[in-house]
Amino acid sequence: MTSEATSRSALSEFADNLRAAPRRIRETAFRSGTPNTDRTRSTFVFGNVFLHLHSVRVHRWSLRWLTTAGLGIASVAAFLITLVTGVLLMFYYKPYPDVAYASIKDIHFVVPTGRFMRNIHRWAANVMVVTVILHMARVFYTAAYRSPREFNWLIGLALFVTTLGLSFTGYLLPWDQLAFWATTIGANIAQSPREVTDALGVTDIFDPGGIQRLLLLGSDTVGPEALIRFYLLHVMILPLVLTTLLAVHVWRIRKDGGLAKPVDADDRLGPLSQTYPVFTEAPAKTYHLAAVVRGRTEVVNRGPEQTVPSMPHLFYAELAVAMLTVAVCLALALVSDAPLKEVANPLVPENPAKAPWYFLGLQELVSFSAFMGGIGIPAIVILGLALIPYLDREDQQTGDWFGGPGGWRLVQRSIVVGLGSVLALEAVAIRFGWLREWFPDIPQLVVTLVNPATILTLVYGAYSVWLMRRHASARAGALGLFTCFLCGFLVLTIIGTYFRGPNWVFYWSPADWPRH
Amino acid sequence: MQKNKYLLLASSFTTLLLLATAARQEHFAKEWRNIQDQGHSEEGPIPVQLRQIVNPALGISDRCVSCHVAMAPGEELVAGSPVLHRHRPVAHDPAEYGCTVCHGGQGLATARADAHGDVDFWPQPMLPPDMGEAGCGTCHAHVAIPNVDALAASRGVFERRSCLACHRVDGRGGVARRASTLRRRGTRQPAQVGLDGPDLSRVGTTGFNARWYEDHLAKSAGESTGETAAPWASLFGPIADADRAALRTYLTTRVGAPDLVEAKAMFLSTGCLGCHTVSGVGGEEGPDLTRVGDKDPGQVDFAQVPGSRSLANWNLEHFRSPGAVAAGSQMPVLGLAEDQIRTLTFYVLSLRRRDLPGSYLPTDRLRVTRFGEREFTSDGATIFSAFCSGCHGVDGMGRRSPGLPAFPSVANPDFLSRVSDDFLATTVRLGRPGRRMPAWGQIAGGLRPDEITAVVRYLRTRSGIAAPFDPKPRRWVKGDARAGERLFASICSGCHGKTGQGAEGPALNSRVLLDSATDTYLVETIGSGRRGTAMAGFLTPSPVRPTLAPDEIEAVVAFLRTW
Repeated sequence: MTSEATSRSALSEFADNLRAAPRRIRETAFRSGTPNTDRTRSTFVFGNVFLHLHSVRVHRWSLRWLTTAGLGIASVAAFLITLVTGVLLMFYYKPYPDVAYASIKDIHFVVPTGRFMRNIHRWAANVMVVTVILHMARVFYTAAYRSPREFNWLIGLALFVTTLGLSFTGYLLPWDQLAFWATTIGANIAQSPREVTDALGVTDIFDPGGIQRLLLLGSDTVGPEALIRFYLLHVMILPLVLTTLLAVHVWRIRKDGGLAKPVDADDRLGPLSQTYPVFTEAPAKTYHLAAVVRGRTEVVNRGPEQTVPSMPHLFYAELAVAMLTVAVCLALALVSDAPLKEVANPLVPENPAKAPWYFLGLQELVSFSAFMGGIGIPAIVILGLALIPYLDREDQQTGDWFGGPGGWRLVQRSIVVGLGSVLALEAVAIRFGWLREWFPDIPQLVVTLVNPATILTLVYGAYSVWLMRRHASARAGALGLFTCFLCGFLVLTIIGTYFRGPNWVFYWSPADWPRH
Repeated sequence: MQKNKYLLLASSFTTLLLLATAARQEHFAKEWRNIQDQGHSEEGPIPVQLRQIVNPALGISDRCVSCHVAMAPGEELVAGSPVLHRHRPVAHDPAEYGCTVCHGGQGLATARADAHGDVDFWPQPMLPPDMGEAGCGTCHAHVAIPNVDALAASRGVFERRSCLACHRVDGRGGVARRASTLRRRGTRQPAQVGLDGPDLSRVGTTGFNARWYEDHLAKSAGESTGETAAPWASLFGPIADADRAALRTYLTTRVGAPDLVEAKAMFLSTGCLGCHTVSGVGGEEGPDLTRVGDKDPGQVDFAQVPGSRSLANWNLEHFRSPGAVAAGSQMPVLGLAEDQIRTLTFYVLSLRRRDLPGSYLPTDRLRVTRFGEREFTSDGATIFSAFCSGCHGVDGMGRRSPGLPAFPSVANPDFLSRVSDDFLATTVRLGRPGRRMPAWGQIAGGLRPDEITAVVRYLRTRSGIAAPFDPKPRRWVKGDARAGERLFASICSGCHGKTGQGAEGPALNSRVLLDSATDTYLVETIGSGRRGTAMAGFLTPSPVRPTLAPDEIEAVVAFLRTW
C-alpha cells in the first residue's frame, strides 16, 4: 500500500464513520435494542437506570385493576406533576412576604399559562393527598402489609406524613389571608402540648410546645422567617426526602417478591389470553448473578408461567394510570382556579381560620382539646397504624380485599359503628356543648382527658377489642378499627369543612353565618 | 394489556385536548388581546402585547393599559374600540402615577372583572367612573373648603366680576380658546385669541399671586396701547374688600377637583362632623370616618342593601335610611334629595389613605397633618353648618322628638337675647357632661378658641341679636331655697327631672350650665319663658299651669344654686 492509499482509506473510513454516526448514536444510547424478544425485553428494563427499579417480569395478578386500582402509580404520577409544575412556578415565585403575593398575581395574570400551571399544581397536590390515603386503605384492606412487607408499610407511613408536610408547607407560600391564618392555626396546634404543661404548671422548665412552634416558624409570629423556612422545606428538603423514601419503597417491593397476592393467585387467574413464549431464543446468558442470599426468594419453586414481561405490560399499565392522573389534574385545573384571597394581614384574622382540608378533621378535634386533637390523637393514630403489621401476623387471605375473619360483613358493620359513634358524639357536643359549658371552672386536664376526641378513640378502641375477642383474630380487630378511623376522619373533615363558621360555631349553611 | 392500551390512548387524547384548550384559553382567548386586535394607529395595527405602567416608588404595576391602550405613555394616537380611548386631561400624568392610585382597582390583573376589582377578595375595587375625583382624597387633604352657601356665594362673586372672561376655570370661561390649556406633557397650548389669563383651575394647590388685585388694577389703569388695552380697562374695575375675601376663598378651593370640592362643601353643610370625626376633629357619637372610603366591601354587611355590592351603593342606601342598613345605628334619616345623597356619597368615597413615599406627599396633606391647618374654613357659618347643624338644625332652631330630650334651639331669640357670649362660648367648649352636647374644646372635639368665638359671632350676626347688657352681678338672688325646692318638685321636675337631671327639658343640674349662667339669665328664662319651646313664662298668668311670683322664681333659682 502506498501512503496515498492509506490516507484515502483513512478518509473514506472517516466518511463512513460519519455517515454511520446517527445510527451508532442511537445504538449506543439504547443498547438493548427493540424489545421484541424476551431477552431484549429483559435488558430493556434492567439495563436502564430509570426503569431497573422495576422487576423484569411481573405477575399477572399485580396488573389486575382490582388488585391495586393503580393508586400507588397515581400517587407517584401526582407527585411528578407537582414536581414539574412546581419547578415552573419557581421561576417566578418570590419567597418574601412583601413580594410573594404580587408574584402569585403576576403568575396568574401575566406569565403565559401561569394560571394554568398554578391550578395544576394545586389540584395535583390535592389529588396526591387523596390517592395516598386511598392507597393506604387499599394496602390495609388487602392485608398487603403482612410479612415480609412490614417495613414497607412503615416507609409508606413516612411517605404519607411527608406528603402532608409538603402540602402544608406549600399552603403558606401565596401569603394571602388563607395561607397566613391556616399556618397560624398549624403553628398553634404545634404549640398545643402547652395545654398539658400549663395545666401541670411545668411550662417554665419543660415546654415542648413552645419549642415546636419556634422550630416551625423561626420566630414568634408567622413572618419572613416562616416563609423562607416553609419554602425551603417545600421545594428542597421534603421533595428530596419523598424521593428517597419512594425509591426505598419501590425497591422494597422488588425485594419482597412483588406486590402481595393470594397464595392461590396462579390458579385464580385464567390462562393467558395470548401465548407468550417464555424463552424464544437460546439463552446465552439471560441473568447475571447479582447476589448470593440466605434463605429462599419468593419465586423459588414456581415457574414464571403467570408472569409477563414488564416491558410492555407493566409499563402500559403505569403509563395509562399516569396519563389518566394527568388528564384528571388538567381537567380540574381548567375549570377551577386555585384560591387566592386578600394579601395576608396580621391585623385582620380570618374568622373562621381554617387549616387545609386534610387537617380540618384534626382541627375539629382541636376545637375540643388542643393537645388531644393536635398531638395526642395524631400520635395515637400514627402509632396505631405503624403497629398494624406487627400486631396482625396472621396469614389467611393475604392479598384478598377485606380478607380475614369477618370479611366484608365486618367492614360494613364497622362502617355503621364508626359513622354512628362519631355522628352521635358530634351531635351531643354541638347541641349540648361539653364539660366547659356545664362546669365553667372545671380543670383543664379533665377536659383534655374527657372530650369527644378521646371518647371517640376509646369507643373505636373498645369496638376493636370486642371484635378481636369475638373473631379470635387481631386482623378482625384491625379491620374494624381502620374502618372506624376512616369513617371518623371522613365525617370530622366534612363537618370541619362545611358546617363550621365564625368562632367555630356549628351552622347548617354558610348563609347563616353572622355578618358584621 | 389491551384495556390499559385503550385507557392510555383515551387519556392521552383527553390530555392533548385539555392542553389545547388551555393553550387557547391562556393565550388566545384573552380579553386584552381581542381589544388590542381592534386597535390601530396611523402606522397600521398596533403590536399586540401586554402593557403596563410601573412606578416602584408608588409600588404599582398597572396593567390597565393592556386594554386602555391609548392611556399609556406614547400611545395616545391609538384608535379603535371605545375601551382604547385616551385619558381625558387630568392633573397627574398617568404615565407616572399609573391608574390605581387615583381610581382604585387591581392593577396587577389583566382580566376585566379582576382589574376593576369586581371580584371577591380584592379589598379596593375601582371607584365609580363618574366619581373619579374621589380618588384625589387618597393623597390630598383639600384645605380651607367652606360650606355650600359660602362656596356658592364666592363662586357668584367670581362670575359676576367677569373673571371668566379672561380666565379658564374647570373647563369654562376664557375667550375663544382651544379644548384645554392644562399643561399636557409639559407644553402649553397657545391661545388663539383673547387675553392670556392663566387657567385658575388649580391655583388652590399651585398658589396664586397674593398681589393679584393690585397688579390687575395697575394694568387696568396703566395699559393704554396695543389690542389688549380695551378688555383690561372695560372688564376690570375696583373690587370691594368683602368681595375680594370671597374671591380669595373661591380661588383657594380651585384645586382641579371641582366635583370633590362641591361634595366636601356639601359634607360641611350637613352637620356630619357633629357626630363623626374626620382627621381628628369632630364628634364621637358615630364612627370615625377618616378612612371610611377605604373599607373592604367584602367585610361590609349588604344584607339590607339591594343592588350591587359596592361601597358607593352601600353609602347611597345608608344615606337614604341609615337605621335600615346599619343595625343599631343612631343616625337619623337626613331627609336629603337624591342628588345631595349622591354628592355626600362622592365625598365619603374620597375619605381614603395610601402610604406614600415622601417625594409624593402633597403639600396640602402636610399642611393638615404637620402644621394643623384646617380642611374647612374657620368662619362661623362653616363651623356651625359642619359641627352644629346636625343636632341644632340648619337654621339653629333645634330638633324635638316626642319623649326624648330636645336638641335646643340656639337661634331662639328669647335665648340669644338673654345669654352672654361667654355663656355660649363656655357651653360650646365644655358641653354638657353626661348629656348629648359634647365638649367641643381643644381637648375633646378639637375646635380652637378662635373657631368657637367665630361660631358665637355667627349666631349673633345671623340672628341680629346682640349680647345683653346686665348691670347686676352674676349672683344676686336671695331666696328661700327650701321653698324653691318644693316649688321645683311640684312644677319643674315634670320636664326637668326630679333631681334636675333633665327629661324632656334640659338638665339643670349641669355644672357647666350653673357656672356659666348668671342669675339674671335663670330668672328671666323662668319668668318669661322661651318662645317656641315647652318652657312657658311662669310670670304670665295661665289657666293651665301654675303661675309664679317673682320671689317664688327667685326661690327656685336659689334652690338651683344649692346644687
